Amino acid sequence: MNEQLIQTITKLVVEKLKSNEVSQPSAGTADVQIKLHSKQATGALTELPPPENPNGKVTFHQTTSAKPEKKSAVHPQPAEKTISKQEEFIEELKKKTPSRIGVGRAGSRPKTNTWLQFRLDHAAAVDAVYGEVPDKILHQLDLFQVQTRVKDKEEYIRRPDLGRKLSDEAKELIKKRCAFSPSVQIVTSNGLSAKAIEENLEDVYLSLVQSLGNLGIETGTPFYVDKGRVALMDEIGDVLQPDVVVMLIGERPGLVSAESLSAYLCYQPRIGTIEADRMVVSNIHKGGIPPVEAGAYLGTLIQKILKYEASGVSLVKKEG
Amino acid sequence: MAGFQPKKEAIISAGIDIGTSTTKIIISRFSLMNVAGSTHVPRIEIVDKEILYKSPIFRTPLQDATTIDIKGVELIIRSQYEDAGIQSSDIETGAVIITGETATKQNAREIVHYLSREVGDFLVAAAGPDLEGIIAAKGSGTYDYALKTGRVTANIDIGGGTANIAVYKRDKLLGTCTMHVGGRLIEFKDSTVMSISPPIEQLLKQENKSLRLGDTNRHPDIKFIADFMADSITRVLAKEVKAEDEVLLLGHKPNWNEPVEAIMFSGGISECMYEQEITRPSDISYNDIGKQLAASLQSNRRLTEWDWIEPEETVRATVLGAGTQTTEISGATIQVAPDELPVKNVPVYKYSFHGHLEKGLAALGQSIKEAINIYDSFQEGQNFVLYLADLPYVGFKDIQKLARAILQVMELRHDPEQPILLVMQMDYAKVLGQTLLAMNARQSVICIDQINVDHGDYMDIGRALQSEVVPVIVKTLTFHSS
Repeated sequence: MNEQLIQTITKLVVEKLKSNEVSQPSAGTADVQIKLHSKQATGALTELPPPENPNGKVTFHQTTSAKPEKKSAVHPQPAEKTISKQEEFIEELKKKTPSRIGVGRAGSRPKTNTWLQFRLDHAAAVDAVYGEVPDKILHQLDLFQVQTRVKDKEEYIRRPDLGRKLSDEAKELIKKRCAFSPSVQIVTSNGLSAKAIEENLEDVYLSLVQSLGNLGIETGTPFYVDKGRVALMDEIGDVLQPDVVVMLIGERPGLVSAESLSAYLCYQPRIGTIEADRMVVSNIHKGGIPPVEAGAYLGTLIQKILKYEASGVSLVKKEG
Repeated sequence: MAGFQPKKEAIISAGIDIGTSTTKIIISRFSLMNVAGSTHVPRIEIVDKEILYKSPIFRTPLQDATTIDIKGVELIIRSQYEDAGIQSSDIETGAVIITGETATKQNAREIVHYLSREVGDFLVAAAGPDLEGIIAAKGSGTYDYALKTGRVTANIDIGGGTANIAVYKRDKLLGTCTMHVGGRLIEFKDSTVMSISPPIEQLLKQENKSLRLGDTNRHPDIKFIADFMADSITRVLAKEVKAEDEVLLLGHKPNWNEPVEAIMFSGGISECMYEQEITRPSDISYNDIGKQLAASLQSNRRLTEWDWIEPEETVRATVLGAGTQTTEISGATIQVAPDELPVKNVPVYKYSFHGHLEKGLAALGQSIKEAINIYDSFQEGQNFVLYLADLPYVGFKDIQKLARAILQVMELRHDPEQPILLVMQMDYAKVLGQTLLAMNARQSVICIDQINVDHGDYMDIGRALQSEVVPVIVKTLTFHSS
């Protein structure tokens, strides 16, 4: 079946469910907002309070031969007040996490709303991996594009090692077009989320460039790598010999956000650089660190890396 | 990462409470640490507060009924610094608060300014009655109790001159109320009535009581007054204020909207109830109705309807709150011009974008003109903090627009050379600050975020710390006008 169609239908169903609820006076649950979920899930899903006398009321039967105990008079009697207290408490907890907590259940399964929302977020995550970065963005930011040794998305996922190497043409191209041995080399790549680049790259990049400009730090010629992996910066470091590489790359999408961007930084990455010398600022997206603020922060972080001539664990050690 | 210890930074904070009857000081040390994960933008928080020194409880030195003895206060503070073994230059934050009736003394304002210059270059909060109640609630343990249990808990801090009530539910302040209820409102000398404060005079008249100066301290009206105060507190807690209670209200009526479930008493009167202090104040016989008031509260029937929670601090609740609870730490991604700090006592002007950048920018100039008219009506160049609230999610180009607009409107000030002071509700302080710098703003820029302020607050911003954050004290109100 057509993926697009499935998504459209799912969306329709979710919206339908929602519009039903709006017309229903559902006391107290109206302002549950799921803020961080991917954009497709438009707005808040609300939950129906259980009806007074549910038709399909579930009853439990004793299946063993033991005599069913007489219904004792001891009912759990949570007073009106304690229920609302509990609900309030759950609301408090919900505010503190984007995770799907306190969503209720129907029997042993999630409720339809929750399930559809989950499917939708999962679909968004898959789309982010298989999506492409629009050329317009690269054009606007004046980034030229190179390839890794990966042929297509399937190979990209199966062979991480190939995503860590530049194609021969790419090597030639960056040698030709990029300034040699700059203080800072900015590299961008879609990585596992094209959506992350589409949504956040412009803001992070412009803010980062401004920040470095303010600090008087010279930058090289930035470019974009299609289907790159983080450790690709080692080979780029070998070819261009910069002091610091900062790589803005789409994160593996999750169910909270499919458009989260990470900035990986390393002081003098070269082939053979160990992972402990890399550092990362992650979770850059609308619901996480605002992209513009992240760019501003990265500038001062790079300044620190240059000052201590170290990154990652080495930087922490040197900083003392 | 065996043996990896996150870096900590310590700052010393002083709290000084100059109350109606007593003055006390505490010195504490805050540990600051980055609590965000290593892959996140740092978030510096106060992770530990350690009390280094608690002073004895001194009687507030007064020159006469309406003037505080500045030299006397300074002497106390200096002697306590010495006993604590610290220099005034060690103190990086903290608050002097002048509470209760003392705040209405003629030279209260003068005193805080004098002290902030002379006894430590720290931040100063001159509390108004609402803030006083809030600070006491945090110092007494009410805030922690409400946070832990979720119960609607009222702290009733009764000192010499005023009772400050603050009601919390979890970390939410539901409301405050201040009353003319305190130990020193009737004073004795040699077992006769030496003074009666004006609100009590009024109350006596209203209730047709005859108590006068010179009467014996066993006059039945004294018990009547104390009982009346206790009843009045009960009615305020229950939000059933009657016409006869209004004489005791200072400012607004109780303004919380949920029924109080538990109560906690702090302040000097609470000390009379719980007697927590190991070493008694050197001068215990204050010779006023304090004891009687404590007894009236303890025997009040209706007060037993609420759960009484014993406070963690009685008479020191306010000073503890002032020393440990008034300092906030800004966000870690900020832009400040180090030479311009500290900035003290600047008013906050809140400008809300209501979620629309363009509309917000269009009306910004007009609002700033208003702000200048309010805060700098004498055209003396009184600066103010512009608090940017309810911004929508913004991209880089939006930030540029915003920066341009800010540069423009800041020129409207009578003294446009002054630093641009900005507080952001959302986490955009660093990028906005950097953008202003990139646009070659001719003024210095101080742009911080992650601080809770509101329209009409006053702010002190301290020097930048090693962790690249600044300590901030927000003052909800300054002096009462009465």
